[in-house]
Amino acid sequence: MSQTRAGIEFTATYLPPQTATVDELLRDGLLTGSAETLKAFGFSRVHLAGSETNVEMALAAATRLLEENEIDRDSIGMILYAAALGSSSTLWDAAPPPCQLARSVAHAHESAAVADAVLSFETVPDLFKYPASLLQSGLDLPHASVMGINQIGCASIFAAMRVARGLLAAEEDLESVLCVASDKFPPNQPRDLAYNLVSDGACAALVRRNPSRNRIVECAQVTKGALWDSGSIENEIIASYFPTATSLIERTLRKAGVTIDDIALVIPHNVSLRSWEILGRLIGCPDERIYTANIARVGHTIASDTLLNLEDATAAGKIQKGDLLLLFTFGYGSNWVSMIVEH
Amino acid sequence: MRRKTILLTGATGAVGRDVLRRLAARRDLRINALVRASAESPEDRVKTLLGAMDVLADLRAIRGDILAGSTLGVPADDLSRIRRDTTHVIHAAGSTSFTLPLGDARSANVAGAQNVLAFVRGCASLECAAFLSTVYVSGKRRGVFAESDSGDAGYGFVNTYEQSKAEMERVVAAAMADLPLMLIRLSTVLGDSVTGEVAGFNAVHHAIRLLYNGLAPMIPGGAGDPVDVVSSDFASAATVHLTEHAEAGNVYHVAAGAASDTLADVLGETVRALSEFRPLWRKRAVERPLIVPLDTYELFVRSVDDTGSEVLRGATRSIRSFAYQLASPKTFGTARAADALSQAGIQPTRSLDFLPRIVKYCLDTNWGAARC
Repeated sequence: MSQTRAGIEFTATYLPPQTATVDELLRDGLLTGSAETLKAFGFSRVHLAGSETNVEMALAAATRLLEENEIDRDSIGMILYAAALGSSSTLWDAAPPPCQLARSVAHAHESAAVADAVLSFETVPDLFKYPASLLQSGLDLPHASVMGINQIGCASIFAAMRVARGLLAAEEDLESVLCVASDKFPPNQPRDLAYNLVSDGACAALVRRNPSRNRIVECAQVTKGALWDSGSIENEIIASYFPTATSLIERTLRKAGVTIDDIALVIPHNVSLRSWEILGRLIGCPDERIYTANIARVGHTIASDTLLNLEDATAAGKIQKGDLLLLFTFGYGSNWVSMIVEH
Repeated sequence: MRRKTILLTGATGAVGRDVLRRLAARRDLRINALVRASAESPEDRVKTLLGAMDVLADLRAIRGDILAGSTLGVPADDLSRIRRDTTHVIHAAGSTSFTLPLGDARSANVAGAQNVLAFVRGCASLECAAFLSTVYVSGKRRGVFAESDSGDAGYGFVNTYEQSKAEMERVVAAAMADLPLMLIRLSTVLGDSVTGEVAGFNAVHHAIRLLYNGLAPMIPGGAGDPVDVVSSDFASAATVHLTEHAEAGNVYHVAAGAASDTLADVLGETVRALSEFRPLWRKRAVERPLIVPLDTYELFVRSVDDTGSEVLRGATRSIRSFAYQLASPKTFGTARAADALSQAGIQPTRSLDFLPRIVKYCLDTNWGAARC
């Protein structure tokens, strides 16, 4: 690979306004396990999309990124739409008809064609209607080709950024890639999963050549396909989580030529606080250098945790220019991904 | 010259079975093997234990129970004969469970030993009675644990097995003043160094199974800490030789001692053996367990307890019952035993040399569910 510098220049996230506490989820029958255990593991509140669709959330996050940073839309050569849940890679919302989505997109761009594209879900051609194309249209990015990334669970946005980095190195005329992830749990689905509490949410990252911040120094991924059946072998996945995460992080640090002591802040995924206490010890990182403030406030937003935490930690002044950050997440499948960036 | 007559308790146990085989192969011995009552007759149980081997000794299976008072439940017809003839006793009976309530562990290991002591007081020809114990009476002590060290020295114990054995040792040591007794402290016995056969599956074998099943993410300890394990053939050969030839009134360590391999090496060899003997296991991509400080392990255990997952709780519970020993690293002094055994050329086999055979036996028999 060439020495092309690529990085996460801008990020934006979207969380639906509706929230529920652990106790409210218990009251509403949206927990299968113990509320007390979830609280002991650091969870307090989640965001619920309600009638919003995953694509609407994706549009909200991406629009925010483009508008707040006054991005020249013509400079974006590609959209990588990352989906953790299988349902997120379709226009299906488990609540047909998706008229609300169509209305919101049509309203944004006064485009009857866009609205028509999602009004009917009753024929085979409906299976060929994709969120990424809808995003390109909805965001008005005429020069962006699109691609979908899925089947890596909550690690999907990492894979998108990794692919973006590779594309920027390989294609000289490509300036920036918009990576977007958005996931929404099916309605009435319990919100606790493997002792974590799940939020709906979306995120967007603009991966750019020669970035002014968040240069991607190194990234690595481990996939253990034998652990694909998350429902029936949850215990094995939990047991595998720590040793695999530890070895991957150590490998990523080695590849980058740094040690954990060089990392100013770990940007985690919002799984149980206890698990980060353990993993922190395993990798030799003290708790105060792991940004866990959002675990209680937001919960686990499937693919959006890390960018949400990067954004909030930056806004909170926890990161200084030049700091090395370790981003980490796990996705069912099972996938462990880590990335080192230089802020 | 009078024939040596050996009373063996616990002949059906993990170590006792190997001791019995070793004794039975000798023409110069008379053996009374004490066997608890069961659906099978004592003779049939012993026959099953010995399999197809040629029994050269004068072997008798005697119905009895170490918890049945000072007669050990030996039928009256046999009692006076055994008391008269016995020259050596190997007391291998007891409980090796790590998870028994203390009262039950005491009953099996302390009360049982007291009954054996009462029995041997009536043995007119007694030359030596050996009481099998464990090097882990050392409890949570770190550093070197010598044969001259007392087990109960205020360090605390990891489980009730260790505590009850330490209490047993006190009882036996007190009786050494007027009886020819010895204590043989065994290390963890894994199985036969040549065949890999495991007579009794213990917590270490179970830990290997958890590793195989991908349910052992971490174990406490240090990578360079010694892990003292021995083969059953060494344990039985040493036990028999010490009982017959070593000086009574002493404690002997049948352990690897300074020749122990490290935790990292034992773990690595176990993983390598699992991969070699079950190539498809590699596809499961089970990560090698992490060796972690005790406080990190305890945090993980607490988290598992909080989740309420019975499978993970069961896994951590079974490791917990012995894993705390790994977090109290120590080396067992073996000078006295090594000196006594050197005359017969008996010495421990390095654990890394026979561990793969043990792993293979575990796999082939599905941890005893389907014996070879």
